[in-house]
Amino acid sequence: MTVAGGLIARNRSRFDGFPEPLLESYESSLRALEPRLTPTQLEAWSQGGLDLMAISLRSWESAAEYFKAGPQLVESTPWDTYEQLAREASDLTEQSAPLAVSFLRSAPATLTHIGPNHLAQWADFGRRLYKGNWKSSSLAAQFYDAGPDLFGTIRVSHAGRLVLFLDELARHSYELAAACLTSAPEVLGRLEGGDRMPFLTFGVELAQTSWADSRLYFDRGVPLIQRVHGPVRERYLTLAAQVARDHSRSVFQYFEDAAHALGEVEPDDHGPVIELAEQLAPHSAYAAMDFISNAPEVLEKVHIDELAAWQNHGLGILASSKEGGEAYFRLQSSRGEEVLDTLSARVELAKVGDVLRLYAKALTGRNISIHAAAVLAEKGIGWVDEERASTDGTTIYLPEVMELYRAKEENFAAVKVFTTHQAARLEFGSFTFSFDRPSTLFEDLRPTINEAPDANPTTEIERFFDLFPDRTLASDIHKIAEGTRIDAAITRNYAGIRRALTRMQREELARRPEVSELPLRQAFVENLVRVSLDGTDALRWPAAQQDAMSNGISVLQRLSEESASVEDTAEATLRLYQLAMSIKNEREEGEEEWDSLPDMDQESLQLDMSDLGGEGAAMEMGEPQEGDVEYESPQDIDFRGDFKPELVQLLMKLRDDAELGDAGQISPDQLTEEQLKELLEKSAEIDLDTLLEGDLQNTTGMFLSNLLKEAGTPTLDSDAQSDQPLSDLSTGGEEGEEPLAPIVTTYYYDEWDFRAQDYKPRWCAVKEADLEEGEDDFYEDTLKEYAALVAQTRKQFELMKPELFRKIKKLSDGEDIELDPAIEWMIDVRTGVSPSDKVYWRRNKVDRDVAIAFLLDMSASTDEEIARRDQQYDDSDDDPRKYLSWWVTKRRQELAAPPKRIIDLEKEATVLLITALETIGDDYGIYGFSGYGRDNVEFYVLKDFDEQFGETTKKRIDKVTPIRSTRMGPAIRHAIHKLSETEAKVRILVLLSDGRPQDHGYGRDRTEKEYAIHDTKQALNEAKREGITPFALTVDRAGHDYLKTMCEDMGYEVVGDIESLPRRLPALYRSLTE
Amino acid sequence: MAPGGLVLAAEEFTVREEPYYLPLGDEIELFEAAFEQRIPVLLKGPTGCGKTRFVEYMSWRLGRPMTHISQGGEAPLDDEGPRPFVTVACHEDLTASDLVGRYLLDTDGTRWIDGPLTRAVKTGAICYLDEVVEARKDTTVLIHPLTDYRRLLPIEKLGQVVEAADGFLLVISYNPGYQSALKDLKHSTRQRFISVEFTYPTREQEAEIISHESGVDLAVSIELAKLGEKVRNLKEHGLSEGVSTRLLIYAGRLIERGIEPRRAAQVGVTWALTDDLEVQRSIEEVVTSIFE
Repeated sequence: MTVAGGLIARNRSRFDGFPEPLLESYESSLRALEPRLTPTQLEAWSQGGLDLMAISLRSWESAAEYFKAGPQLVESTPWDTYEQLAREASDLTEQSAPLAVSFLRSAPATLTHIGPNHLAQWADFGRRLYKGNWKSSSLAAQFYDAGPDLFGTIRVSHAGRLVLFLDELARHSYELAAACLTSAPEVLGRLEGGDRMPFLTFGVELAQTSWADSRLYFDRGVPLIQRVHGPVRERYLTLAAQVARDHSRSVFQYFEDAAHALGEVEPDDHGPVIELAEQLAPHSAYAAMDFISNAPEVLEKVHIDELAAWQNHGLGILASSKEGGEAYFRLQSSRGEEVLDTLSARVELAKVGDVLRLYAKALTGRNISIHAAAVLAEKGIGWVDEERASTDGTTIYLPEVMELYRAKEENFAAVKVFTTHQAARLEFGSFTFSFDRPSTLFEDLRPTINEAPDANPTTEIERFFDLFPDRTLASDIHKIAEGTRIDAAITRNYAGIRRALTRMQREELARRPEVSELPLRQAFVENLVRVSLDGTDALRWPAAQQDAMSNGISVLQRLSEESASVEDTAEATLRLYQLAMSIKNEREEGEEEWDSLPDMDQESLQLDMSDLGGEGAAMEMGEPQEGDVEYESPQDIDFRGDFKPELVQLLMKLRDDAELGDAGQISPDQLTEEQLKELLEKSAEIDLDTLLEGDLQNTTGMFLSNLLKEAGTPTLDSDAQSDQPLSDLSTGGEEGEEPLAPIVTTYYYDEWDFRAQDYKPRWCAVKEADLEEGEDDFYEDTLKEYAALVAQTRKQFELMKPELFRKIKKLSDGEDIELDPAIEWMIDVRTGVSPSDKVYWRRNKVDRDVAIAFLLDMSASTDEEIARRDQQYDDSDDDPRKYLSWWVTKRRQELAAPPKRIIDLEKEATVLLITALETIGDDYGIYGFSGYGRDNVEFYVLKDFDEQFGETTKKRIDKVTPIRSTRMGPAIRHAIHKLSETEAKVRILVLLSDGRPQDHGYGRDRTEKEYAIHDTKQALNEAKREGITPFALTVDRAGHDYLKTMCEDMGYEVVGDIESLPRRLPALYRSLTE
Repeated sequence: MAPGGLVLAAEEFTVREEPYYLPLGDEIELFEAAFEQRIPVLLKGPTGCGKTRFVEYMSWRLGRPMTHISQGGEAPLDDEGPRPFVTVACHEDLTASDLVGRYLLDTDGTRWIDGPLTRAVKTGAICYLDEVVEARKDTTVLIHPLTDYRRLLPIEKLGQVVEAADGFLLVISYNPGYQSALKDLKHSTRQRFISVEFTYPTREQEAEIISHESGVDLAVSIELAKLGEKVRNLKEHGLSEGVSTRLLIYAGRLIERGIEPRRAAQVGVTWALTDDLEVQRSIEEVVTSIFE
């Protein structure tokens, strides 16, 4: 009998009462193990299983798994492991049989991954998760079950961290922990080995602080992590973990934002960014994460090398004020922006546009506007490039951002060169070409060329280009020639810009394509470009054809002379075109030597003009020949931008026509649509295909209407030529009848963050609109109701009206001697006392020069009814009948005269104030404000400063209604802006409110008061700084507490008895201005 | 230039040396003709374009012994020497008594003292009221009887009327762009003068003036004149007044003394013109474009 057989026989009885398969598996396990184990070992193994069975009622299940597991262990498994397995199994079974089942079931597979040495550790992990209850048992079981999968991907040490994470999570939610465990093998599998540990470490921190995010983290964390550059991922996660440790709010959000942001930063820059963030972390983890999140935006403005300087500045702030530093890195502080601006090398058009506008205006003497090139491209009138500078004759278009160089000055110099070139086109008449005007330097060839007899050109330049069979070539040459002329004029006239211009020319030369690879004619044109960039030394040309090239160069260089006009450009174009046409556009094959041109002595440059076309004889224009490679335009020159003389002349003509049309005259040569179309189709300046997609007919139509709109002419109806009646024009009338949407103008203001002690730049959007008009009943009714008060107010204010001239006495110089002081003087002289020489009088004109802005709180709380004391029911009396009768009386009163709300009193007070102000003749504006949130502060105009008081104002008062919140700061700032535009000497801002400032996001949360109060206070301070006297008036009885903070040394008043407001306001105004 | 330290009564001042003046048009002939006919002259034009210099020059020119005999065959009336020249710079507190005269207190009572206008009227001087709209409205009333056929100056406080001496001519200047709309010249005043309009000189003329006045060579002064021309383009767009020839001359003088042209233009033009930072920056850009 074998050892196994003996054991089976001996122990068979112990299986009585257990399911049959248990015994079967016992038997098969022993038989399978028999060859591997010594008899003693086998017996021990068998005993281990039998002991398991005895542990508890259900422990036979784990015994069953025990028996199954044995043979599944790999053959080389040492005996120690069998023993260990048995020990762990028994231990686990004692805690929970199902747990042991899971353990044993996955043990063989798991052991192949972790090896026998880690068995105990693995078992411990599971035990750690098991807390004695059902849920934890199932989690731990799941952990064991996942063993093979898990350890297929991660190492045991990682598992330890994972268990820590799961354990932490399980304290809050077993479901969450289970879900994370399920996805763990897959999630961790996607990570690179080195990232797993930090990933889990952060997970643990997350689970401790904001466990609910863990699921999100597990689901979305991996792709986020992968946005971070590999070598620094660990540091990033460590940093994120640090944030999680220090704070509990929105940890995952920070993690996610920052990871996203890093994805936008160059991978090589991740290291420096994270390093800088690490320096911030000890001071404020939020600042560190915000720093990373905003890195892409910051890096757009500054170079990575300067990032440290920006961070360092913020670090300084952070060290002294945590809130200040955090705001700095949140990009919510003016200081941060300033520093950024100083460090940034790039020049934004939005910031220098005004300076450039005046600059261009100075240069040209015209009212030039400056816009981004994209604006021109959007117009759809022929310009398509959104980056290149250009001009349409009235506006100079420039690239939105200039960041060619590392230094701000250099970038600005570049923008200036761009601007100067465009302005110079206007100054030196690039667009005033006239076909018949003679040139100054050349023998005019234009009259000698036969023009097409049926041509009907719209513009002068079109007529000129009509001369050329190859319009593209002509246009290119003309562009080069004119560029040459303009650059020369700039160099001559503006010595100061010469250096920057030369630099850009040099750089442009360095960018030019290799000339010897071009077909000959293109090479010729390319060489002209180089000459025009003052790069004669950069020419390469076959020596055999040198004559054509030298001729070309000498023609082009004549345009640098001082007297060169745009007509000379045209003449040069004609000559250069002919030269170009005399050269075949083919690639030079081998033999010919490309060479730089030998030094050209002045002799050879003295070109005999008769060579070109001959004098007097009709000039023949060359045409493209067969065998030529198709001609391609040379690469554009950056700083010269787009040059479209045909379009500009057309636009100018259209504009002139539009103006003439307005003046009621009919221009004799009003453009027809055919003419326009013809021009557009043949012009080399417009690529209709790239301009707009769609069929040609539509495209041209659209293009035309765009052009006409731009020029300010009414759109030509494309059917106008047909015999349709023109009754359609009546539709124009209807447009005027439609109610117009109120015009809303948005202004941006900073907001004061008292924690950061800094402004949040452009934080609030104030939307100004006229208040809609209602009826003027309210105004009239109020006047009636307060008739007595109105009369009294008027009288008081009339008294305040100053006399025009006031006699000022006792002056040392004046119109005439005043009698009394003169007598005193005499007496003094006679008695030997030194006399006062102030004996003159003079009349001085006295102006009352007051402007007042009146700000009305239109927040929802003003809807509150004013509780009249007499209407309060005295509830000491319990008699219901009395109460009923009281209530009925009250109700009746209310129906007869509805109770007044705060806003009604505000309105009444306004009406009375207007009466007063109109009497005295001060300049005033009345505004209401409300809104919700920082991006929507509504600012309603009841009466603007330059507006006359009239029906409109009366009707607007009617529409003053409670709306929403009270964000006072921006409203005050906007009123300051309004006031500072008036020229009055005395400027007053009165703020009438019913309570403290309050708005969504106006403070950390809805209940916080300090932020809003401090911002309002700061706004009032700003008013003072502007020389405006602020005054706050509130009808909130509790107003004293915050008004004291808000107004400090400024004037304020709490109107205790709200009903006295209409009476109080004019009186108050008097005391303010007297 | 006259040697310093000389104290003269207002009516004794004469222009002795020929002031430099470059005629821009026919203003000299016009003025001469007006003077012969004793027609008051209004000079209109922006600040620093040479109005004062012109009157000075005319005063000198008309004070020369006349070389020509007027057509009527009469001998010139006043060829006996330099012509007195009285200038009054008007300001907003300038009253009629400042022009006519006032009583001063003296140990024995009061003493009347003639104002500059009265003195000019009495001595037959050319009286130049600079920036006349600045003065108070009551001064213009004085001007009226002086500027029509009467040629009388009433002195209310003395109860006198002074008849203008023969050589007396009233010249006023007025800068239409500069003053606010409130301070416009009344038509009743305005229509008593012929009006000679001054504009900025052309680039070449201005360069010549700058060169002469400051001593810089023509090349530099043409650049300065160019700067002037460009900056004047900004008038009404950030600048209420274009740069005056005077300022350009100052800049020229600084350059002459060895100051860097850019710096000279900065202090002499840019900063002198405006306090608006944006406009300053724009002018600065023009300066750096023109000067190397």
